[in-house]
Parts: sequence; C-alpha cells; structure tokens
Amino acid sequence: MRIRSAAALATAGLLTLLTACGQSLPDHTEDELRGQGEVSGDIRFSWWGSASRNERTNAVADAFEAEFPGAGVKREAADFGNYFKRLNVQGAGRNMPCVTQLQARTLGDFTDRDALLPLDPMIESGAIDVSDIPEAVLDTGRGPDGKLYMLPTGAAYDALMVNETLAEEAGAPLPAPGYDWEDYIDFLRRADAGLPDDIAATSLRGGLPNFFIAYVQGRGENMFDGNQLGFSKELLTEYWQMWQDITEEGLTNSPAANSEEPTSPEAGYLAQGDVLSDNRPGNALTPAQGTLDGAGEGQRLTTLPLPGGPAGPGNVLITSGMAIPRNCGNVPTAAAFIDFWANDERSGDIYASDNGAVTNTRLLQRQLDDPELPDLKKRELTLYQDIVENDPPIVLYPPGYMAVFESAFTRAYDDVAFGSATVPEAVDTFFAEANAGLAS
Amino acid sequence: MKENVAGGAGRAAERLPRPATQQPIAVRGRGRRAAGDNRAAYAFLTPWLIGMAVFTIGPMLFSLYLAFTRYDLSSAPEWIGLDNFRRMFTTDPRFFDSVDVTLTYVLWSVPLLLAVSLGLAMLLNRGMRFLTGYRALFYMPSLIGGSVAVAALWRQIFGEEGIVNKALAAVGIDHGSWVGDPGSALYTIVVLQVWTFGSAMVIFLAGLRQIPQELYDAAAVDGAGPVRRFRSVTLPMLSPLVFFNLLLSVVNAFQAFTGAYVVSNGTGGPSDSTLFYTLYLYEQGFAQLNMGYAAAMAWVLVLGLAVFTGLLFLSSRYWVHYGDER
Repeated sequence: MRIRSAAALATAGLLTLLTACGQSLPDHTEDELRGQGEVSGDIRFSWWGSASRNERTNAVADAFEAEFPGAGVKREAADFGNYFKRLNVQGAGRNMPCVTQLQARTLGDFTDRDALLPLDPMIESGAIDVSDIPEAVLDTGRGPDGKLYMLPTGAAYDALMVNETLAEEAGAPLPAPGYDWEDYIDFLRRADAGLPDDIAATSLRGGLPNFFIAYVQGRGENMFDGNQLGFSKELLTEYWQMWQDITEEGLTNSPAANSEEPTSPEAGYLAQGDVLSDNRPGNALTPAQGTLDGAGEGQRLTTLPLPGGPAGPGNVLITSGMAIPRNCGNVPTAAAFIDFWANDERSGDIYASDNGAVTNTRLLQRQLDDPELPDLKKRELTLYQDIVENDPPIVLYPPGYMAVFESAFTRAYDDVAFGSATVPEAVDTFFAEANAGLAS
Repeated sequence: MKENVAGGAGRAAERLPRPATQQPIAVRGRGRRAAGDNRAAYAFLTPWLIGMAVFTIGPMLFSLYLAFTRYDLSSAPEWIGLDNFRRMFTTDPRFFDSVDVTLTYVLWSVPLLLAVSLGLAMLLNRGMRFLTGYRALFYMPSLIGGSVAVAALWRQIFGEEGIVNKALAAVGIDHGSWVGDPGSALYTIVVLQVWTFGSAMVIFLAGLRQIPQELYDAAAVDGAGPVRRFRSVTLPMLSPLVFFNLLLSVVNAFQAFTGAYVVSNGTGGPSDSTLFYTLYLYEQGFAQLNMGYAAAMAWVLVLGLAVFTGLLFLSSRYWVHYGDER
C-alpha cells in the first residue's frame, strides 16, 4: 500500500514537473497585438551568422538601445546549421526570443505550429512601417493564410558565380543576359576546352535544391502543391539526367570532391580558384573574392542571374526577416526593434546588407549612392535590383522544407552521382520520401 | 521448512539470560539510534534521489511514453501505439541503413581498438628509456580524439588533398578523397576511433604488470615460444580486462556520434555511408521534429545494447578466466 502511494506520488510529481517544463503563453491585450505600448524593458533577439555578422548585429542592437534608453536587447547568436535546431527546442518550451530571425524557407515550420504573431495589426497601427518594402518581397513573409508573420529585412538570391579571369583565359565569353540552361552548358563546354586539366568548368550541383528551384521556375512548374511536391517526376528525371550527362562529359568535378567541399562559400572550391563556376549565394561575392584575392593570382569573380527557361527567369528571392513569437511578453518593444531594424538609416548603414540586400528601397538606394561602396558590394545589390524588377515568383515553402525536402533531394542525387541508383530509381525514392515527410 | 529469521532470532533471544530491567531500555536505545541513522542516511541520499528521479528516471519514463506517440515538440503528444516501431521495421529503409552502418562500425572499430591497445601496452610493458614519456604520448589521443576539433582535422587528413593522399602519392599510389567516397568514409571514422586507444591501453598495461613472472618462466621451461606464451599465459591472465575493455568499447561504439557528425557535416553522407544510428536518431528528433519516432529509436538502441551486452556476458563464461576457477 505504502509502495503504491509512493508510486502514485512520484508519478504525480513527474507529471507536474513535465507540465511545468513548457511556459504558458501570455494573454496579449488588443493594444499589445497592435504593437502599441511603452517601448521599455528587455527583449531577447536571436540570429544566425558568422563573427563579422555578429559584430554588425550587435552594433545595430546597441543603436536601438541608445535610441530607446529604457529598452534592452539580450542577444543570442548561433551558426546557421545549429540555429534552427535550437529554435525548435526553444519553440517546444514556448521560449523563443521575442524577436526571432527566420528565413522564408523555414517560416512554414513555425506558422504550422501557430507559434508566431501576425504582424499585420502592428503594420496597420503604424508600429511597424513597411511602406518602403516592395510588395513582392513582403509577400515572402506571409503564411498560408495570407497573414504576414515575418518581416523580410534582407533578400538574398542564388547566382551563377563565375571566375571571370579563368573564363577569359579559356576563351569562353560569359552567357548573355536572358540565357537558358542550354546556353549555360554550351558555356561550360567552351570553357572546359580551354581550362587547365585540374580545374572543372563547374562544381557538381545536381543535388543542390536552389539550382533545381531555378530549373522548375524556368519550366513554369510549381515547386509545391500545399504539402506535396508540385513538379513532375519527368522534370526531375530530365534535370538529374542533364547533370549526369555533363558529369560524364567531364564538365564537373567528381562527386567525392564535391561531397568533401567546405560548406561556406568563402571556403569553397570557387573561392579557392579550383572550379570555374558554381551556384552560390549572391551576397557571397565579396567574401568569396576576398578568399580568391588571398591566393594572389589576381583572379576576378562575377555573378550572373541563374539560367532561365521558356517560362521566364529562374531566380527566386530567399528572404530573411524577423518574427515575433506568441510567447513574447514585450510585444511593443519587439515591434519597435523590428521597425528600427527595417527603417532606421543607422541600422541600414551599420548592417550594410550583410544578409542579403536590405529590403527597404530607401536604405538600399542610400547604400548604392554611397561613393565608398565597394564595386563588388554594388554588384551584389544591383543584381538584386535586377531580379526584383523581373517580379520573381514567390515559393511558399511547406513545413519541413529544409529538414525533409533538402535532405532527401541531396541524398537521392548523391545515390545517382555515386552510382548506387539510376536516375529513375532515385527520382522514385525521392518522391516517396519527400511526399511522405512533407505530408506528416 | 524455512524458519522465520526474525522469529528465530526472537526465540534465541528468549533463551539468553538477561537482566529484566536493563534489556528493554538497551533495545529501545538501539532502535532509536537505528531509526535516527536511517533518517540521516535518507537525508543525505535525498538530493541524489531527487536528481535521479528528476533527471534520469523521469526523462527515461517520459521518453518511453513518447516512443508510443507522435510528438513534434510543439503540440501535445498523440498516442499512436506501436506505429513508430512498425514504421521503423517495415517502411523506413534509412533505419536499416543506420543499423548496418553502426554494426559495420562496431565490428571493425572494437576489435581493431583492442588489438592496437593491447599491442602497444605489451610494447610499453618492456623496460626502455623514457617509458613514462612514451606512455603519456600514447595516451594523449584519448584525451583529444573524441573532440570536434580533431574530427574536423580528420576531414583534412583524409581529404583529396590531405596528408594521407600526399603520403600515398609519394609511393606512387593515386587515390581520391577518403571522406568524400561512400566506400571509404566510414573507415576513416573507424581509424579515428581506433586512434583513441589510450584508455584501453592503460588498463591493459596495468593488467600486464599483475601477471606473475613465474608463469612466463614456467612456460619458458616447458619450451613455450613467445606466441605460445602470449596465447597460453598473457591472454588468459588478461581475459577479465579484455572483457572489460570489450564491453566499454562496444557500448561506446554503438553510441558513437561526434566523429560521424563532424566528418559528414551532420548529414550522414556521402550517400548515407556514415549514417550512424545516433546520427539518424538526432536527425529524426531535432531536424525533422519526429520526437516520438526518435524516442522509439532510442529505446530500440537500449534494448539492442542490452541484448548485445547480455550475449557478451554469456560468452564470457567460456573465455574469461578470473584465476579462482578450480
């Protein structure tokens, strides 16, 4: 009897403890939901990035604290790989930072769990000003219900980054504006004929989801249909077969070399002068050139939009931005911080489009007008302007995009590249895994 | 028929001569003291008991419950019975890939680790100059071998342009990347594990020092050569320590994570060739947020390890000698 009582007591204690592990959500007033109230007290703010980005981010947070002396910003930084894993755990404990940096590709993971506050009431009340952010860019922060959950503050894009010096030496002119995938492969062929033997015309990127997204856009198909894949098996088969063909032609580096490449663009093969071209984030042009300069051979990198297709250009925007989770207990200060980040000139000048071009057109123009802006940075920002002018399509990424889709896509193509599966087998495996994973 | 011990003790006490006035007082005093001792013991044990209940038993029981649920960390766990286990054993090919990778790793790394550590222990058991320095030197990899920094360094050593390939090129052997090739990536992690032989080596070294010299002398008198002496004296006398090291190495190898995580950039690649069980469990739990499935995988690992160690204990009856057998 005594044992049974003790067991019951222990179970009750355990359940109490486990229940207490997650914090309860605050009851926000109407005013708070509109971002109205005193801007004071502490908020937590989290972001991802390298040491140099941390410095810039801290400087913006310092400027905000100087602007609002009663407010404090507690900062939490992590590298990109671990950032979202930590955020998942914080989300489980309803302990996400009041201002949480997100990416459009991961937004679905959090809207699906109803973890974020809609920002529309804060915009309507004037707590957050979005008048200088293009509507197409703003739309990348919307959830499936059309509400804005993330204010896009930086817009990145993937670009075809080319070692211009090597291309000139190989006698291969860069693809002309509006080029498509056939033009791109022709360029690789011409370059390969004139390149040294140990330099591949391109890195093997058949398993890179961002490159495939450009292919899908150019062909006019959809990436997703709700929580399922929106493109056809035939399209993916055609795409992977194209990569297999150019690999067999010797235009790419080897799958083994490709899989051991460092992940950061500034440490990758293109930045080391070991390949002629690659799909890289457009905002990596400056750091990649920095690495290449270190080799001392005077080579020059440039960026082009990704190849297009019959349906139009291939580029899509990959925005990063800021969200306010439901567990935030200081919404007015969080809204003020986001507004400061997105609109204040000090913020724009300090951050200097470090994580994609600043989405505020006024701040962007201010940076472009700066006579001291380095040429490479100007190239990054003008290419962004060109892409936005073409009204790039918005991809609504389903929950689990990065964990399920990207992981399965890369793995399935690896199986093809290493010869353990044929293209049709890999396509079938990928479709089964991705559809099952995204649906759950 | 068994005698009730307390009753027997009571009857025996009744037979003893005792001063009628003193004995009850003495018994009461002892009882009070014993009760006081018990209370003190429980008081001292309480922090540990609370820690054990809250941080070990509690989470274990909760994870056992989660193994039968669908749980994505944000919404409440939903009871789904045996579905996680059914999925694991019927529709998830990556689960079997991870089991395959882990078993291959265990079967290669554990025997190699034991062989290398025993071999070096025997080498260092000889009288030579600077012996203490050598021992410290050989132990060093164990201190740093499991770290992220060394695993990152491993990528460089076994990369296409790494030291290993440069050394092979010097003797005319041309080889591509070891970590980038699905056929060899796992074995680079095996080498990383074997490199941390220091702990097992120190234990073997201590054991070798305990083997009486007379046994070797007697074997030598009987005409036994070095190999026979190793087989008939060293190995049987060291068998308890071999068993101990084997057990530790097997448990460690089944739970290996850091090396694979760093060498494969957390993907288990290339082409799932380094998808260790723990890495897949981590991916399911913290990347795909299938926490219920990850909990089920964790319990399957616990059960698998229990079976494996149980078999090792059973087999030990036939090859481990404790020196007290008759």
